[in-house]
Amino acid sequence: MFKKIMERSRIKSPWLVHYDCGSCNGCDIETLACLTPLYDVERFGVLNIGNPKHADVLIVTGSVNTRNRHVLEQIHRQMPSPKIVIAVGSCGLSGGIFKEAYNVVGGVDRVIPVDVYVPGCPARPEAIIDGVVEGLSVLADKQRRPDAANGAVAVDHTNSEILYESR
Amino acid sequence: MIYAYALAGVILAPFAGVFIAGLDRILTARFQARTGPPILQPLYDIAKLWAKEPMIAHRFQPLCVYVYLAAAMVSVGLFFAQSDLLLIFFVQAVGAVFLVMGAFLVPSPFSQAGANRELIQILTYEPLIIIVLAGIYLSTGSFEISAVYAMDKPLLMNLPLLFIVFGYALTIKLRKSPFDISASHHAHQELVRGVLTEYSGRQLALIEIAHLYETVLILGLCSLFWTTGVLGTVVLLAATYLAEIVVDNICARMSFKWMLKSVWTTGLALSAVNFAWLYARGKF
Amino acid sequence: MAAAASALLTTGSILLIGQVPIRSVPAFLSGDLFATAVQAADFALLGLFLFFGIRFKDLLITGLSAAQIAGLFFFEFVILADSHAPAAGLYCDSLSLVMVLLICIAGSLIVLYALPYMQEHERHLKPGKSRNPVFFSLLFVFIAAMNALVLVNDLMLFYFCFEITTLCSFLLIGHDRTRTARENAGTALRINSMGGAVLLLGIVLIYTRLHTLDIQEVIARVQGTGALLIPLGLLCVAGFTKAAQMPFQKWLLGAMVAPTPVSALLHSATMVKAGVYLVIRFAPAFAGTFLSTGVAVCGAFTFLSAAALAVGQSNGKKVLAYSTVSNLGLILACVGINTRSALSAAILLMIFHAVSKALLFLCMGSVEQHIKSRDIEDMRGLFGEMPKVAPIITMGILTMILPPFGMLLGKWMAIESAAGNLFLLFMLAMGSALTVVYWARWAGILMGSDFRGKPRPERLHVLSTISLFSLLGLAILLSVSAPFFHTGLLPGSITGAGGFAPVNGSLANSAGSFAVIPLFLAAAASFLFALAGSGRSSGAETAAPYMSGIAGPENGTYIGPMNRITRSVNRNYYLSAFFGEQRLSGAVNACAGILILLMMGACI
Repeated sequence: MFKKIMERSRIKSPWLVHYDCGSCNGCDIETLACLTPLYDVERFGVLNIGNPKHADVLIVTGSVNTRNRHVLEQIHRQMPSPKIVIAVGSCGLSGGIFKEAYNVVGGVDRVIPVDVYVPGCPARPEAIIDGVVEGLSVLADKQRRPDAANGAVAVDHTNSEILYESR
Repeated sequence: MIYAYALAGVILAPFAGVFIAGLDRILTARFQARTGPPILQPLYDIAKLWAKEPMIAHRFQPLCVYVYLAAAMVSVGLFFAQSDLLLIFFVQAVGAVFLVMGAFLVPSPFSQAGANRELIQILTYEPLIIIVLAGIYLSTGSFEISAVYAMDKPLLMNLPLLFIVFGYALTIKLRKSPFDISASHHAHQELVRGVLTEYSGRQLALIEIAHLYETVLILGLCSLFWTTGVLGTVVLLAATYLAEIVVDNICARMSFKWMLKSVWTTGLALSAVNFAWLYARGKF
Repeated sequence: MAAAASALLTTGSILLIGQVPIRSVPAFLSGDLFATAVQAADFALLGLFLFFGIRFKDLLITGLSAAQIAGLFFFEFVILADSHAPAAGLYCDSLSLVMVLLICIAGSLIVLYALPYMQEHERHLKPGKSRNPVFFSLLFVFIAAMNALVLVNDLMLFYFCFEITTLCSFLLIGHDRTRTARENAGTALRINSMGGAVLLLGIVLIYTRLHTLDIQEVIARVQGTGALLIPLGLLCVAGFTKAAQMPFQKWLLGAMVAPTPVSALLHSATMVKAGVYLVIRFAPAFAGTFLSTGVAVCGAFTFLSAAALAVGQSNGKKVLAYSTVSNLGLILACVGINTRSALSAAILLMIFHAVSKALLFLCMGSVEQHIKSRDIEDMRGLFGEMPKVAPIITMGILTMILPPFGMLLGKWMAIESAAGNLFLLFMLAMGSALTVVYWARWAGILMGSDFRGKPRPERLHVLSTISLFSLLGLAILLSVSAPFFHTGLLPGSITGAGGFAPVNGSLANSAGSFAVIPLFLAAAASFLFALAGSGRSSGAETAAPYMSGIAGPENGTYIGPMNRITRSVNRNYYLSAFFGEQRLSGAVNACAGILILLMMGACI
C-alpha cells in the first residue's frame, strides 16, 4: 500500500527547479507566469523549489554555451532520481538563433538527456504547463521501469492551448 | 493512562499536522486569488520525498535529522502526557539544535548562513516562550499542563498580552513571514532554502514530518490559553492560525537584526505590562 | 608520582561519603602553636603580595596588601589581644562533601591530563630548566588549599585558605613567564586582593559584633534575624571577586594565558568555586533579606551579560571563560533566590558545570596544541584532523545545553525557581537563549569536514584519553543519576519538604517535574533509532554541497572568476554590532558595579 501511495504521490507533487542557460528572459517570464494566480500550477502540487537537491523537474530555458554546460550538468547531477528534464523554447531545443555562435553548444539535449520538449519563442505558459503534465507521465514511467530509455515527448505548440483545454 | 495519551498523541499528531498544513496552503492560495493544491498535498510531498533516491551531503546529517524527528516526537508525547511545560519546550529545543548542527556540517554557504539565522531565530523566540510559560505558572501555580486544565477560567483572561507575545514566537517557529529568515516555504530567494538546503530526499521528508509535529505542539500550547470549552479552544486556534496566514501573506521577510530588535523589545514590553497587571490583581 | 597522588585524592574523597556530618576540633588545630603558625603564615603571605606589588610597581596591589597587613595586625593584636577566640576546627557537612568530591575527582583528572600535556608544553616553550616539578607542586597545593577551604569552620583559617588560592592562581597564571602571562597574573592578584581585603573587613566586622569566628555559630545566630547584613554583604562581594562575577571578570579572562590544565582547574573545580562556596555557605544567614535578592539580581545580570559577551567571541578559550562567568552567575542567582529548590539548582549546577567545563577546557588544550589556534573558526571540520577529540567536544557541548543532561536540569530548576520574580526571569530567559547560540554554533562546525574520505588517525596520549573519557562518562553518569544523588548527597535542609524530590525517576517539586530517567530512556531509544536510520542511508551517494554554480573538485570549492578554483569561506555570525566586547564591556561593567553598590547600599 505504501508503495502505491508513493507512486501516486510522485506525480502529484512535482517540485521544479528552473535554470536559465542564457535565455533572452522571454521564456523565463513565461515560466514564472505559470505560478501566477492566472495559471496557478500549485493546483497540481507544482512548486518552484529553486534547489536541485529538492527538485523532481528541471526546466531549462535558453541555449547552452561552453561555459554554463558544466553548471547545467552539475544541477542535473545534484537532483536525486527519479527526475525529468524539460527543455523550453527554441533556444533550449536547438540553440535557436544563437545556434551558429562560436560559444554555443546547441540544445539542452547535447548535454543532458531531455524528456519533454516545449517549443516556442517564447513558449506559452499553457505549453509549459502541458509540458510539465506530459513530463509527469514520463516520471511515472521511469518509476515503473527505472532503467528504461528516455522516451522523449514533444509538445505541439501550435495548438497547445487546445491541448491544454481538452485535458 | 498518561502513556496511552502520549502514544495516541504521537501517532495521531502527524495526521492532524497534514490536515493543518494542507488547509494552510489552500487558504494561502485563496488569499492570493488562486485555487491551491488538494488538502492532502503535504502528504503527497512527504511520500514523494520519502521514495526519492538517497543522496546525502554529509555522513552525520541523517543522524541529526533522526534526532530532530525523535525530539519532536518526544516533546509531543510529553505534551499529551500533560507533563512539565518548560521541560517540553527544552526537549523540542534539542531538535532545533540538531537541525542547526546538521546544516552546519556541510560547507555550503546557503546551509551555513541558514544555520546561523536559525540560531538567531532560536535566540529570538526562546526567551519569549520561557516568559509565556512562566506567566502560565503564575496563573496556575504549576508548570504542569494538568494544572492548566484544572483552571475554571481560560488563561487568556489572565494573559491576553502574553498570548500576543506567544503569537510572535509562533510566527517564527512556523517559518512565516516576516520571520521566515532561515528557511522559507518558498525557496526562490537569496538563501535558496537556508537551513534546509542540503537535506534531500528521505531526510527532507523526515524534517517535514518533524515540522508537522512541531506545528501540532505549538498549536497545542496555544490551546492551553482556552481550556474551559471545546468550542472556545477551536475558535481560538482557528483565529490564531488564520491570523498567522494573514500576517504571512501581507508581510515581506525582514532582516534578522530587525527581528531580534523588534521582537525582543515589543515582546518584553508586552510581557512586562501583562505581569504588572497580574501583580496588580494580586496574582503573585 | 602525581598520578598516584591523584588516585589517592580520589579514593580519599570517595571514602568520605557516608561519614558526614563531621564536626571536630583536632588537637593540632586548637593548640596555640598552630594559631601562631597560621598567624605568621598569614603575614608572610600578605608580605609576599606586598613584595609583588612593589616589584610590579602596582599601586593597587601594594596598597591593598599593605591595608590587609595593617587590618590583620589590628585584628590579631588589638581586637583579639584580650579575648581569645576558641578554635572552631573542622566542619564537614553534605555541602562540604560535595565540594570535596568535586575538587578531588575533577582536580585529579585534570592533573592526570596535565602530565603528558606539560611535557608537550615544555617541548614548545623550551625553558632552560624544566619547571614542571614546581608546576605540579603548585597544582597540588592549590587542590589542598581548596579542600581545606571547604572543610574549615574558622573564619580566620578560611581567610588563610582563600589567600593561598589567590597566591596559587597568581603563580600558575604567570607560569609561562611571558609578558602577557605576567600582566594577567598581576590582574588576577589585583582583583583577588580586593576580594581578600573585603573578606578580611567582613570577618573583622562579624567578630566585633558576635565575638566568634566559628562559621556554623555565626550562621546559627544570624539566621532569620536579618542582622549583620553589611559584613555578610562584604563576604558576598569577596565571593563575587573569586567567582569572577561582573565587573570582576577580567582576571578570569586573562587566566587563559596559563597552560590549559591551569585554566581547567581555575574554571571547574577550584578557585571560582571557592567564591560560590562562600556565598552558598552563608546563604542561610541572609535568607529572606534584601541582600539575598541583591545577590540574585547581580548573579542573573552576570549570567545574561557574560552570555551576551560570549556570543560576540570567536576565540574558543574566551567563549569558555565567559561561559564560566555566566554559569557562575546563574549559580549565584539561584543562591540569591534562596529557596530550597533554588539551592538544589545551585549545587547541581556547580557539580555539572565543573565536570563539563573541565572536559571542555582539557579538549581545548589538545586542540590548541594540535592546530596551533584557539579560534573557533579554525576548528571547522576539526573531525578530519582530530577524530577523537572533536566528538568529545561536541558531546561536552551538548551536555552543557541539552536535556536530559545535568546542566539543563539545573537551568530548568533555576528558571522554575525564578519564575516569581519578573526581573530575574527576564534575565534568565534571555541569558539561556544566548547560551544556546554560542554553544550550538560551536558544536555545529566541529563535526563537519571539508574533505571526503576517512579522517586522519589521531594520536592522543593514553593518560589524556583516560582523563577525557572519564570526564565525559562522569558528565553522563551524573546526569542519569541526578534524582538519586540529589537526595542522597545534598544537605537535608535543601532536599526536605518543599524542595525537589525524586518521583518515579523524575525530579519533582510542587511546581513541576523533570522526567530524568524517562527522558534518558527516550534519548537512548532515539539515538538507537537515529543510528539505525542513518545506518540505512550510509550506502547513499554523497553529494557535493550546493554552491549555486559549478562546484570545484574539492568539497566546499567552486569555479570562480577566470576559471580559478575558489574556496567558499563561511563564517559564523558573531553579531559584534550587538554583542562585541568593545561595545558591551563598558556598559556592562558599569551596570554590574551599580548593582553591587545598590546591594551594599541597601544593607546599610
